[in-house]
Amino acid sequence: MNIIICLKQVPDTAKVKMNPDGTLIRTGVPSILNPYDHFALATALEIKKQTGAKIKVLSMGPSQASKVLRLALALGADEGYLLSDKAFAGSDTWATAYALSCAIKKISPFDLILCGQMAIDGDTAQTGPEIAGQLNIPQITFCSNIEEVSPKTLTVKKLIDGGHQILEITLPALITLTTPHNFVFPYPSFTDIFKAQEKPLFTWTAQDVNADINKLGLKGSPTRVAKIYPPVQKQKGAVKTLSADDTALEIIKILQAQKVIK
Amino acid sequence: MQKIDTVSRQLMLESLKHYAEQKLPFDFLRKSDAENYFSAEKVKEIYKTLGINLLLIPREYGGLASSTSDIYRICQALARIDLGIATAIFATFLGSDPINVGGTEEQKKYWFSKMARENLLVAYGATEADAGSDLIALKTRAEQIIKDGKITHYKINGSKMWISNGGIADLYTVLALAPGGPCWFLIPRDTKGFTQLKHEDKHGIRLANTAGLCFENVIVPAENLIGLKEGQGFLQAQAVFGYTRLMVAALALGAGQEAVENAIIYANNRVQAGSPLSHKQGYMHKLITPHYIKFEAARSFIDQIAKILDTNNYGQATEGAIAKYYASRAANAAADDAIEALGGFGYTKDFPVEKIKRDVKITCIYEGTSEIMEMTIYRGRWQEHLKTRGNFYLDKAKEISTDIYKDIGGKALSLGLNALNDILEECRLNRLTRHQHITLELGRLIASAEVAFAFIKQAQSGSVVEGCPFNLETIKTMARINAKNVALEIASSGAKLLNSALEKPTEKDLYISEIAKECCGIIKDMDSISSVLKDTFRK
Repeated sequence: MNIIICLKQVPDTAKVKMNPDGTLIRTGVPSILNPYDHFALATALEIKKQTGAKIKVLSMGPSQASKVLRLALALGADEGYLLSDKAFAGSDTWATAYALSCAIKKISPFDLILCGQMAIDGDTAQTGPEIAGQLNIPQITFCSNIEEVSPKTLTVKKLIDGGHQILEITLPALITLTTPHNFVFPYPSFTDIFKAQEKPLFTWTAQDVNADINKLGLKGSPTRVAKIYPPVQKQKGAVKTLSADDTALEIIKILQAQKVIK
Repeated sequence: MQKIDTVSRQLMLESLKHYAEQKLPFDFLRKSDAENYFSAEKVKEIYKTLGINLLLIPREYGGLASSTSDIYRICQALARIDLGIATAIFATFLGSDPINVGGTEEQKKYWFSKMARENLLVAYGATEADAGSDLIALKTRAEQIIKDGKITHYKINGSKMWISNGGIADLYTVLALAPGGPCWFLIPRDTKGFTQLKHEDKHGIRLANTAGLCFENVIVPAENLIGLKEGQGFLQAQAVFGYTRLMVAALALGAGQEAVENAIIYANNRVQAGSPLSHKQGYMHKLITPHYIKFEAARSFIDQIAKILDTNNYGQATEGAIAKYYASRAANAAADDAIEALGGFGYTKDFPVEKIKRDVKITCIYEGTSEIMEMTIYRGRWQEHLKTRGNFYLDKAKEISTDIYKDIGGKALSLGLNALNDILEECRLNRLTRHQHITLELGRLIASAEVAFAFIKQAQSGSVVEGCPFNLETIKTMARINAKNVALEIASSGAKLLNSALEKPTEKDLYISEIAKECCGIIKDMDSISSVLKDTFRK
């Protein structure tokens, strides 16, 4: 089985602060592997353990983004591919999905493409589904687990409002994964990190993946960003710890004060 | 042979950080500190999970053969987690040093392979009750056992004290005096007659096991003598002083940074009199900003010396002493002020700064006290001053008086180095170095001068040191402030120092008024650094 995982290097948004004008304070903010992609990688490594699958990891970005590929190689991926070219700069999710799908065609054959549900910097959750669209393969989004792997099909657990679905999909297919809350992200040992230095890691330009330059970058991006601003923060509610009876009385008092009840 | 590259180094540091977040949270460290206990199994778990113990082991024996630049970054990161655990791991590195320096190929193959395979905890046994910095007073004896005219074994008698990992190591490298002179022996823990004493109840680094060792007729095979030649022990120890002291500097730097960054995060959130403490100039300029400037200066110095050691392997004894002395003092002062910065909270054990303050004191003591460092620095540079006929600092002063250093404090520091040269010359002409008081003070001034020099060289190089969270503009501003402060310190302390030993005041003006003029703008620069610090370290 051949698995391709799309990885993105993102600023650690847990450490990003906003200026009052809505722009990001990036000073001292480290770059990390997008946590959803990290989970996708961990999922693929589990499949590798069971089936001996070959894992290829793919990313797009400046040369520094090769760090997330090296992390994946250290954790057990077999080959890494970085799309790095000025022609990719300014790409929105559609143009990015186009570039990645061109690379995937070149990396082929593949049975399964895994993507994180979304990247924590943009939160669009569009790139994964758009890759499936560009490659014209079936997809299931928002999966929390891969339940069963067979040579021709995959059974997954997809989260839905109020529950989950168990779905089967025919391969080749694309799955996007969401991270369980208690998931402990794996990190490699020093030895595995060192050994990963010798694993194959390729850097490709737009030309290398036969991409049409007009479908990349700003030119190939239909998205127009009007404004980025932090959402208005809601006022904090009051928290009171009282006995059940006193709580009921307190609620009645508040509702009366606000003239909801008499 | 392939080396650890920059990306791998970054990934290793990240793996270490995540390991600590998962397995070594503050509450656990705090409890272990209170109980004065951290088990050998915990250290071994770190070895097994991360393979951190493999860093110093050559590639051919299953290790990672890391460079000095790799190791100092790891030491710095370890100290941010806990200086005691860092010490336990560092002790393993230290314990394997004599094998690295003086071991035969066969010894390296056997012992390094064993250390890598079995994740051995190693201890370095040099210090004795009467032989600390003065190792010549060594009393532990190694007696030859001769059979058929050949030395087959050594019988070791004596004791060691304050040995890191002393009570928990699997393997010990022990310095003992043989008939042919001092030498290092490899002694496994279970050797008959070898006992480990109780774990010391220390002021800090309570997660590092520290214990005495006792040798009563301990018989070791002759092949356990490192290098198979007697009398090489001191040379083997001295060969790595530059390196080991640089590592202590990195440990101090990591612990100090952790303390100050904790204080900055606190100051960003603590609102008093209508605004966060981090917005108050007096608070930042006194308790925070000067320390972080010194840390960045120390980082530049350590990084530059590490790169030299990566090429030359051994030596740099004076530079190692400068790094250790400067960084450990800076870290201690910073940790002290970090408690002050947190006020009452800082004085409780609920916040990490109290523990860091106790822990970091050791960096002024182990691998040679600050006073020994001052002597080492003075001796090393006094020789250079004499050898170059007073040109050692004049050449440096000339180098940074050019235009390219103009905006980063080049002129001020150039004057400071000229002043330092004048001080050394006055000492020589008036034979003032007969006063030990003077020599130690010279060590202090020399350390500040050389670190400031390295810092402005770094700022001028056009890039920041790997791992530095600031941009080049910030580093330039820090280097400028530091250069001015150091120059003024050399001139004013120097004047006092000379006059306090002379009958009549010195005629040298030590460029004091010119340096004072160069100090314009320090407060504005400090404001800009304070602002960067408060934006960089927030939660």
